[in-house]
Amino acid sequence: MATTFPTTVARPRRRWHELKHSVNWLYLLPALLFFIGYQLYPLLQVLYISFTDYRYLRPDPPNFVGLENFSNALADPIFWTGLWRAAIFTAIFLPGVIFIPLFVAILVDRVQNATLSTLYRLILLIPAVIPGPMIFVLWRWLYDFEVGPINVILINYLHLFDYRNAPQWVGDSPLTLPAVAIMEWWWGLGYHTMFFLAGLAAIPKELFESARVDGANEWQMFWHVTLPRLRPIFLILVVLRFGSAMAVIDEFLIMGGFNRSMPTYTWTVYMWHLGFQLGDWPQGYAAAIGWIGAISMLVVVAALFYIFRNQD
Amino acid sequence: MKRKDEEFLIQELLRSQLRRGEISRRQFLQNMIVAGMGLGGVSVLSSCGGTAPATPAAPAATEEAAAPAAATEEAVAAASGTRPLTPTFYQWIVDLHPGLKAVNESFADLNFQIAPVAGFDVARFVAEGKNKESTWDVYVGMTPFVEMAALIKADVIEPWDNYIPKDVLDDIIPSIREECTVNGKLYSWPFLLDIIVQGYNTSITSKAGLPDTPPADWDEYLANSKAVLDSGAARYGCTFDAHGWRSLCPITHSINTDIYYMLDGDASGVPLYDFTHDDAIAALEIMKQMLDLSSANALQPGTTDGGVNQTPDEVAFAAQQVAYYIKYQNAPLRMAGTWTDPTALRLGALPKAKGGAGSTVFWTTGACLFKWGQNKEKAAEYMKALTYDAQIWKDSIAGSSSGHPGQLPPFLSVNEALQKENADWFQKETWVPLVFEQLKVAKAIPNHAFGLQQFIIGQPIWEKYLKGEVSDPKVAMQEAKDAVAAEVKKAG
Repeated sequence: MATTFPTTVARPRRRWHELKHSVNWLYLLPALLFFIGYQLYPLLQVLYISFTDYRYLRPDPPNFVGLENFSNALADPIFWTGLWRAAIFTAIFLPGVIFIPLFVAILVDRVQNATLSTLYRLILLIPAVIPGPMIFVLWRWLYDFEVGPINVILINYLHLFDYRNAPQWVGDSPLTLPAVAIMEWWWGLGYHTMFFLAGLAAIPKELFESARVDGANEWQMFWHVTLPRLRPIFLILVVLRFGSAMAVIDEFLIMGGFNRSMPTYTWTVYMWHLGFQLGDWPQGYAAAIGWIGAISMLVVVAALFYIFRNQD
Repeated sequence: MKRKDEEFLIQELLRSQLRRGEISRRQFLQNMIVAGMGLGGVSVLSSCGGTAPATPAAPAATEEAAAPAAATEEAVAAASGTRPLTPTFYQWIVDLHPGLKAVNESFADLNFQIAPVAGFDVARFVAEGKNKESTWDVYVGMTPFVEMAALIKADVIEPWDNYIPKDVLDDIIPSIREECTVNGKLYSWPFLLDIIVQGYNTSITSKAGLPDTPPADWDEYLANSKAVLDSGAARYGCTFDAHGWRSLCPITHSINTDIYYMLDGDASGVPLYDFTHDDAIAALEIMKQMLDLSSANALQPGTTDGGVNQTPDEVAFAAQQVAYYIKYQNAPLRMAGTWTDPTALRLGALPKAKGGAGSTVFWTTGACLFKWGQNKEKAAEYMKALTYDAQIWKDSIAGSSSGHPGQLPPFLSVNEALQKENADWFQKETWVPLVFEQLKVAKAIPNHAFGLQQFIIGQPIWEKYLKGEVSDPKVAMQEAKDAVAAEVKKAG
């Protein structure tokens, strides 16, 4: 015999369910407002002006120009050179920002003494709490050709170079992008190590014990147990750092300025140069460059999500 | 004296008394009525920020007066101000000129601020101007050929003509007044004067057996620099700032000043630097010879302000690694301040090209008046106080605990007073007359919207010749010219 629930019982339960979820939305409201106001609205605004001939210094209202900005940007050699430079920097930067913290995390994770382990973590986090401008000033001084300590040691103490052929760490030099990458690795070492330490802590110890019982050595355990379990951490770090590496601007402005021959004159610097310094500040065109760069990055991010997908 | 001239003089006298607070607005009007210029007084009051009734400006009697047309309600309220006078300064001016503090203290309720303008960035000013508002009343730090065109175009600043006293206006050195003027109106109140000169370190040149006189021409300059290098007296013979407005352009001016051209289709009416002019190419060739005698990083960017300041040349000169140096005078003065013996510094006029114009480049750092700011009358009083403050000029010319900026006053009477007084401290600064002599022949870079950017765009291209990547300077300079023209046309 079929059983039917009396409807008078179902209605109060559904109402309570709906009421509970609308209260959730209330709690989400501040974050939602922030997202809409500080992220969604600017994105839409930039999208809108990318289809116009908007020039910030001119009082005239912008005119719709369709895809003209996008086609000009795609034909702009300065943009492509800038995008390529950012890609090179990212290719140099990413491996270091992943594998160095991973190595350090494994070492710190092996430390049995709790006090020592905490001390190591604190030391690693020191660069992370130094404000960005101070980091840039510090490393700019370290890399200075004449008075920077690196060249002073190389020339005066190790006698590997003289003042004519000493390395040019920043400026118009092939060493510039690696030099900036090294600065970024150092700056983010503690922060990224914490990511991996959290990931390592989540790996069940029984897996390592089983592997040892099966005769696996340290290297085999690393490849077949540790690395696969850290896949989600890799995904987060690679995606986050890919985005930040491709979009670097502050460091490049400090290390290279607006000279277009510098390897630091990337697509983001070009976008800023256009939007706030050149001519009438053609922000419509700069916005189109920004969107093309962002879409290119999104394509790569999608590929990264696929590569680092959960394969369990 | 004609009736009109009399009335003008009376009006100006009363107006300056009103500005100085010696008389009230009521007294001003009463005196104007007595002088038979009632409606003219109303008109002038409105320009001084008073709430004038909506009567048209008096004809004839005040036609020749400097009183503007009746201001809008917003501008009238703004001119008088509902907040304290709020000037804002580029950080480096505050760092180099300690005398500002005393002047600031003489203005009650002054809301002094540092401007958010690193790297000549005026985006904040423009953003506020578009909203018809301004956090500040006056900005001190504007260089005409750098930011002025953009600020005028964006309708952020207004001319000083309605507020600057006529005697002050007439006191500006003529070539500087021309630099600061656009369409007949003064948009920059000049404050600090810089001229590209040469400096050298006598402790190095004497070691190299060279005379203690500045090289008169480029051949001598290069020969002396080579002698320094060959003798081992210093690491480098000479150095320069790689930015075009500090090297390529002044060296070109030393040969010829008529090296600007009007770009076809450019509606601005302001000329651009002609990279392909024979004398510009000759200047680039001089730079190449200088680079061979300079440090390996001479073409690298500086460490601050988007690479524009704290440049490698300054480091080398401060470290006493180089003998000869060309830059605006405050650079060698400041760098020599770090030497064990700063008196080893000598300054002189930029070397001439044989048979050339013997000119150089000058620019002023000045103050602009925000259109949407307030306290405009007071801003003019403030700038006047800064302009004629003796301590500021003494500290600048003779140096102080803050450094030795060496920037000169752009006003005739101030310079005349310094020379007339001829104080002991002034006599020691033997470079001042030399630098002033150069001003008589120096020329400013035209105030094009791309006045600065043309050199930033062209620099990586002409440097291909300096670095040996391109063997023909004409090819490099043509490419630089084409690149600038393309950017100007892209800008519309």
